[in-house]
Amino acid sequence: MTKKHLPLDELSGAIGRILGLLLTEEKVDQAVQSLSLAIKESVPGTLGAGVSILDSQARRTSTGFTDNIVEQADFLQYDLGQGPCLTAWASEESVLIEDLGTDTRWPEWRTAVSSLPIRSVVSAPLIANGRSIGAIKIYAPEPAVFDAGTVTLMELFASPAATLLSHIQSTETPQRISEGLQAALHSRDLVNRACGILMERHKITHERALQQLIGNARDQSRILQEVSAELVAGIPADHN
Amino acid sequence: MGFERKEPEQRRRLLEALSAARISTGTLWLQYFSIGGSVGEYEVEAYLQGMLSVPELERDLLAMAANELLNNQPGPHAPYADELPNSDSNGSEPGSDPAPGTGSGMDAPGDEADPH
Repeated sequence: MTKKHLPLDELSGAIGRILGLLLTEEKVDQAVQSLSLAIKESVPGTLGAGVSILDSQARRTSTGFTDNIVEQADFLQYDLGQGPCLTAWASEESVLIEDLGTDTRWPEWRTAVSSLPIRSVVSAPLIANGRSIGAIKIYAPEPAVFDAGTVTLMELFASPAATLLSHIQSTETPQRISEGLQAALHSRDLVNRACGILMERHKITHERALQQLIGNARDQSRILQEVSAELVAGIPADHN
Repeated sequence: MGFERKEPEQRRRLLEALSAARISTGTLWLQYFSIGGSVGEYEVEAYLQGMLSVPELERDLLAMAANELLNNQPGPHAPYADELPNSDSNGSEPGSDPAPGTGSGMDAPGDEADPH
């Protein structure tokens, strides 16, 4: 893989963070905004990121941006009816632009954005239940910032994000979120706080702390959430 | 992508436990997410199908999530990495050794007899 390739655990962490974000968002507009920020932070070299949810007529129903360059570039695409995100959405395949200066696939859009600091682009379709519901995109001001590895990374973000966004869009979502997911988020938070205490106490990594919690839960035949809750409450559950 | 030696066996026995108790991937993932797992649902699905390798800590969290869902009901349990036979002395992956305080040969409750 390339030098920009993230190790799997780091990547998994990024995906987990995004899922965590989306699960707590009840409105799709907020979700796409949060997702844009998370993508920008997670993909090296990115100047800006955006998310567009489209209806079957290629009209945008929700959009999220990290900055106004992305917003302008995106607006021009839908205004002109051409551009990498529309292609990604329509073809259900990711688009990589290594250098917009020499890429002639979208001539009108390319001319329209020529004054903006955009040279490298990756756009990946959001596909949920076999249906393309939009696209995520990242931009960078220099050419050759993104490569096939970046495309893979964006696709890894796109698949769980699309599934969750499609759930958020549908009407049954509030119930779905309020039942199982709230409890899951609460429990996850507890485990993370317990890890934080162990990391501080023993000067260990998050992974080590989680391993230790697993070990404690196994030794005591108890569930991880209970062991974590005790630790957070100040009862020394990590004795040996 | 290469698989660590214990991984196929750990995955196979996790699947066995899940199917015996009729636990869906979605249910497993939510439980795993709730105890701090950081791999996405699609990636967990891919792992279960043997298409993706995940780090040992995440595999152990998946095992723990499954066992918590099984809640001591009869049937196969999902094994942790340190319960599987070490087919060679690999020191390859950092963080692949058992958690401190766990003890390598310790009998976890609900543990199946180790093959070998």
